[in-house]
Amino acid sequence: MLVQESIGTAVDAIKANKLRSILTTLAIIIGTAAVIAMVAMGSSAQQALNDSITDLGARTIYVYPSSSRQGATNTSKVPLDIKDAIALSKDGEIPWQIAPEIRGSKQVKFKSENASLQIVGSTPDFFSIRGYELDSGKTFTENDSLARKRVVVLGSKVANELKTSSRALLNNEILINNISFKVIGTIKEEGAGWGPNPDEQIYTPLYTASDRIFGRETIGSINVNFPVEYSTEEVMIAIERILRREHDIGPGEINNFSIRDWGQALDLQRQATSIFFALIIGIASISLLVGGIGVMNIMLVSVTERTREIGLRKALGATQNTILLQFIIEAITLCLIGGFIGVILGTSIYFLIAFLQEWPIVFPLTAIIGSVTFSAMVGLFFGIWPARRAAKLDPAISLRYE
Amino acid sequence: MSIIKTENLVRHFAVGTQTVEALRGVSLDIDRGEFVAIMGPSGSGKSTLMNIIGCLDSPTSGTYHLNNKNVSTLDDDALALIRNHEIGFVFQNFHLLARNTALDNVMLPLKYAGIDKSEQEEIAMEVIKSVDLESRAHHQPSELSGGQQQRVAIARALVNKPSILFADEPTGNLDSKTGDDVMNLFTNLHKQGQTIIVITHEIEVANQAERIISIKDGKIFEDQKVLK
Ligand SMILES: Nc1ncnc2c1ncn2[C@@H]1O[C@H](COP(=O)(O)OP(=O)(O)OP(=O)(O)O)[C@@H](O)[C@H]1O
Ligand SMILES: [Mg+2]
Repeated sequence: MLVQESIGTAVDAIKANKLRSILTTLAIIIGTAAVIAMVAMGSSAQQALNDSITDLGARTIYVYPSSSRQGATNTSKVPLDIKDAIALSKDGEIPWQIAPEIRGSKQVKFKSENASLQIVGSTPDFFSIRGYELDSGKTFTENDSLARKRVVVLGSKVANELKTSSRALLNNEILINNISFKVIGTIKEEGAGWGPNPDEQIYTPLYTASDRIFGRETIGSINVNFPVEYSTEEVMIAIERILRREHDIGPGEINNFSIRDWGQALDLQRQATSIFFALIIGIASISLLVGGIGVMNIMLVSVTERTREIGLRKALGATQNTILLQFIIEAITLCLIGGFIGVILGTSIYFLIAFLQEWPIVFPLTAIIGSVTFSAMVGLFFGIWPARRAAKLDPAISLRYE
Repeated sequence: MSIIKTENLVRHFAVGTQTVEALRGVSLDIDRGEFVAIMGPSGSGKSTLMNIIGCLDSPTSGTYHLNNKNVSTLDDDALALIRNHEIGFVFQNFHLLARNTALDNVMLPLKYAGIDKSEQEEIAMEVIKSVDLESRAHHQPSELSGGQQQRVAIARALVNKPSILFADEPTGNLDSKTGDDVMNLFTNLHKQGQTIIVITHEIEVANQAERIISIKDGKIFEDQKVLK
């Protein structure tokens, strides 16, 4: 009952000094808003990462070229080759799907519109490995590749880049490096995740890409998709065995390629983001502490200003604890008001950014509860000293105070 | 039977390196139901005396029995309890909470007494009626005249049915007409058996009481009945 009364008194006192109260809680507002926006963005990023793993299935391993530093002479990057991919395909030990990627940025033209876009050459399996779904038309086949057919499948936003619609492009010709290609299909919107945005790429058969567009046999990476019955280690060992043979690597020499699975990459990414967010939250906590000191300062001022009020309350029978409670509640209320404004601000900032960046939206409930609780605790902690001062005031002297 | 009994009350204040002797041995007996006026020049120690017998302050030495109970040695919270239950204060400058309505101001002692919320308003309203301010119950102090504000303060002082009503210069900030109204209110309360102690500078005010105690330099200098 006294608590309720004290909240009422606190709100009245804060209302009576609106500007001062807002200025006091500014640091708390900023701290809370920062914590919430950052934590929420962190969960969004995490969500995007997780979505991208589930999209891919956890069963894809990537092979990349890496430089071999064997001896002083050979420090150049040893490329991966289409032949490496063929060697992997031919090996029958594990029933895996192999999709080499040959990629590069090229000038693409449709009518008078020009854009520089990523071209990806790969096998038909590429789409199922990546989990890309066809939106219209069809995908290319093994035969299209062997015949070096000039056909392409477009990411969902390619049409945008060329200032037209996917529908207008389907079954039409576009120019890549001034060579015309027929658009035979488009894929559904995948959303940006980890790595280049699949919606802004153009997909073409492997040999078409190597012979007609890039004029090289070297490839950027090989996607290896394997059934869940096999462990990641098992598959990695098999890949290593085949590629060491292909690359003529003798016993004791180190690999000139690297094999990675998504788990590793994601762990690294997670670690980097968590360090970043820990830093931001550290700064936000300092801001909350500064806010707490501001609140303490203003509460001390308030106690001095209201000395006569305190004297009167004591004359009417308020005990030390009653006064203590009143001022602590006032400090907590002040911090909570700052906390709530911060919650609204932080959530709005987050929603805005998530919306603009097309991130998956995660409602930051834990962050909200956490930071509101924390700001109440800041109020409690920094309110105790001023409140004790008020509680200990001598009633007779306080009533005389001018 | 005496409600207030003090023996040799002394109150010193340390001001810097000096000591101010505000009270220098006050022995006093006041009976239940008495209406007493305390007079004396400025700085003579009237307010200091009221603070001690009102349990707002403790004497440096001497004893004080309120209702036969020695209260001169009680701690802060015990005194707060006595103030809440036994004593009502009326001050020269009203001391109302500016952001609360008259009703809320009058309810405050009930809140500190831990009275049920449902009863608070009823009890407070009853007392507000008795000081003729029913129509102003929901106004804030700034919307009330000085006389009305002082009546709210009196209602607040009476709401816990105190044994003693203290008033320190209750008419000091009022014109003579409203001052008379306030004194009439006191006279009526006295007729109903309320013990009242009023500090005043004005002899006309003091003459409404039954007994006048004059103080000078922290000592009782004269104590006489008022002839009516
Ligand atoms: N808290 C205090 N600290 C120091 N000196 C005090 C304190 N309270 C009272 N005094 C001193 O004690 C003396 C008596 O003060 P008190 O307020 O009792 O006088 P008073 O009779 O009520 O005067 P007035 O008619 O002006 O109200 C004065 O000299 C005053 O300065
Ligand atoms: Mg005085």
